[in-house]
Amino acid sequence: MRLATLKAEIIEEKCIGCRTCEKVCPTLAIKMVDRVAVIDLDKCTGCGNCEQRCPVYAIELKRREEPVKLYVDPSTVDQKEIEKICTKAKFNPEQIICYCTETRAEEVAAAIIKGADTPEKISLATGIRTGCKVECIQPVLRLLEAAGINPERPEGWQWYGKTPTIWDIPEEVKEKYNNRGFYFDKDIELLDKVAETRKKAVEEEKEVI
Amino acid sequence: MNKPIQPIAPRVSQYGVDPKFVTKRMSEYPEMVSVMLRDLFDDTPEVIFPSDKGLEAVREAALKALENVDMSMIKPGDSVNVCASHHGFTILGGEPYAVLLKTVRDVIAERTGTEDIRLRAGVGLRFRETEEYMKAFGLDKYYNGKVKGVAPVDEGIPIETEIGTLYGIKAIYDADWIVHVHNSDVREVHFHRQVDRAVKPFGMSYARIETRSTYHQNLGPRAANFTARSIFESDFVQSKFAFTAFLDMSPVGVVGVDADNSLYDLNDRLTVAGCKYYGKIMTLLGEIDECIVGLDFPCPVPYVFAAGVIYANFVGANMDLFDLDNSLSPYTWYTEAFYGKDGKPLVGSIPPVNPAIKMVVHNYAWGGYPSAFFSHHIPTIVVGREQADKFNMDPQNLDYMKHSVISDSLDSAMEYAYKVAKTDKVLIFDGAAGGMNVSESLAKLLIEKAPEVSKRVDEELLPKWLKQRGIDPAAVK
Repeated sequence: MRLATLKAEIIEEKCIGCRTCEKVCPTLAIKMVDRVAVIDLDKCTGCGNCEQRCPVYAIELKRREEPVKLYVDPSTVDQKEIEKICTKAKFNPEQIICYCTETRAEEVAAAIIKGADTPEKISLATGIRTGCKVECIQPVLRLLEAAGINPERPEGWQWYGKTPTIWDIPEEVKEKYNNRGFYFDKDIELLDKVAETRKKAVEEEKEVI
Repeated sequence: MNKPIQPIAPRVSQYGVDPKFVTKRMSEYPEMVSVMLRDLFDDTPEVIFPSDKGLEAVREAALKALENVDMSMIKPGDSVNVCASHHGFTILGGEPYAVLLKTVRDVIAERTGTEDIRLRAGVGLRFRETEEYMKAFGLDKYYNGKVKGVAPVDEGIPIETEIGTLYGIKAIYDADWIVHVHNSDVREVHFHRQVDRAVKPFGMSYARIETRSTYHQNLGPRAANFTARSIFESDFVQSKFAFTAFLDMSPVGVVGVDADNSLYDLNDRLTVAGCKYYGKIMTLLGEIDECIVGLDFPCPVPYVFAAGVIYANFVGANMDLFDLDNSLSPYTWYTEAFYGKDGKPLVGSIPPVNPAIKMVVHNYAWGGYPSAFFSHHIPTIVVGREQADKFNMDPQNLDYMKHSVISDSLDSAMEYAYKVAKTDKVLIFDGAAGGMNVSESLAKLLIEKAPEVSKRVDEELLPKWLKQRGIDPAAVK
């Protein structure tokens, strides 16, 4: 969940129309109109990417009069569907996948189930990718892929593509480097255990019932 | 007992409050003293900085280290990107790293005849940070304006690796050659675990968000360190890599400058030294039974320094962070990810944060890094409403103050902390060079425990740590 308390504002007389802000906005909230950046406040999460990358300091972050809550309640969708997507993506549904917003895998799965079929739409729905803007693109792409969705890349630099996971590392690569302290197989064990723990608990609960 | 060491001064930055709001430092209290690392460990290395020779000693060491580096691949007219990272500028005020970057430029120009030498400085999560440093240290002028602060959201470039496609920042690689200039301060040992420490920027400050997300989400807490190696090993990076130069750090300061055409040879040397010197102080900090922690340094919360060690490491000091048999450290993003909605770990093997930390007094530290985990898990009192407001305006820290209380002044914060924490032991993360500022009670404990810790690291832990990393100290060049 993310409470968007800020919004970006363009200082028009400083804007040089370079489009950097448009290319880094994780929710596609910025478009150029007559070579000046214009922000769609309905899409702006106040993440600050544009403000931090503008080469001429033409963007400021201001406090919103009314904060906007970005959240998808996982309980409002089919729990089995959430489980299916998270399991396929090798996440525990409760696992945090965005450290700034404490967004959990189940919330992103729920957003996908509700129709968010791109990282941009998922960010707008949940707030993920709008804190540090750096660390959480891969879980989003993994969950989309697990849901059978191959999103089209935006024209900017928002994201380039899904990258390898630990389960993709070839055995010969592991063998080649394993003595340098990478503990590939041990980490696979750990990540599998985390991803599967809820499933086991659910299974045990079912047995009791 | 020694008087407190002068802490690092507050710095003007968009990520922290105006220094005028930092009206008192924690080391000013009469109960505070300092402990020098040299008094704790008699094998503490000699340093060239801080020293009587000042920054000239760093330049001399850099010139000497670069004498043995082959630069013949760089021809007159070739373009060279000197690649730097923000971390170096947080060490000892930042000037030693800036001097190294200036010296590297001078030597490349003199030895190769090229003048197309650019500085490309990567960042962590504060995208303007190195822009600020390059201006503050005059690097923009020294590099004739050919400087660029690069961020992980900037235009990317695909890099084909042994494990698949990863992505670098295009501006890092937009030259004929790259020169990797970094430092050996262990800093985020909770992340890198002193595995390929020297290689890490290739997967981090020189990398795009896709790659950094791979490190922190796709590969696991130890295997994550392969991200950087896979990029460095790629044909693309190897075709551009010329040499590397490092500020060789110890917890007491700059030991020297190391430079090499082989990043892996340098990496092995730094791994041995890092495990030995930082391993001792970190193991000693793990012996602290209870304390109040003071954050009082111009840096994001986890990165404030004491005795050359960052606060995030102390949060995990209840565990041996160098021991790779421990899968997760008490604080790392994988650990943070594995706490469930009820606030409890998802699996039993998640270690708790250091229970010795009874309370944190946040007198001065910056935002710009997701830090809510710390205030969520450890009682935190923030000094000054201005600082609280700063965090509430930070997209990465909108929840930090949700778990913290605010005090009007440092005096009232300390009074409250002593009352609630019920300990008189205080450890201050204020960047004190050569040692750390602590309460007298804590100083006594550290002095008492240090000899046993030193012996244990030398005889038991260090051999184990190096073996886990595939390093034979006798074979290190």
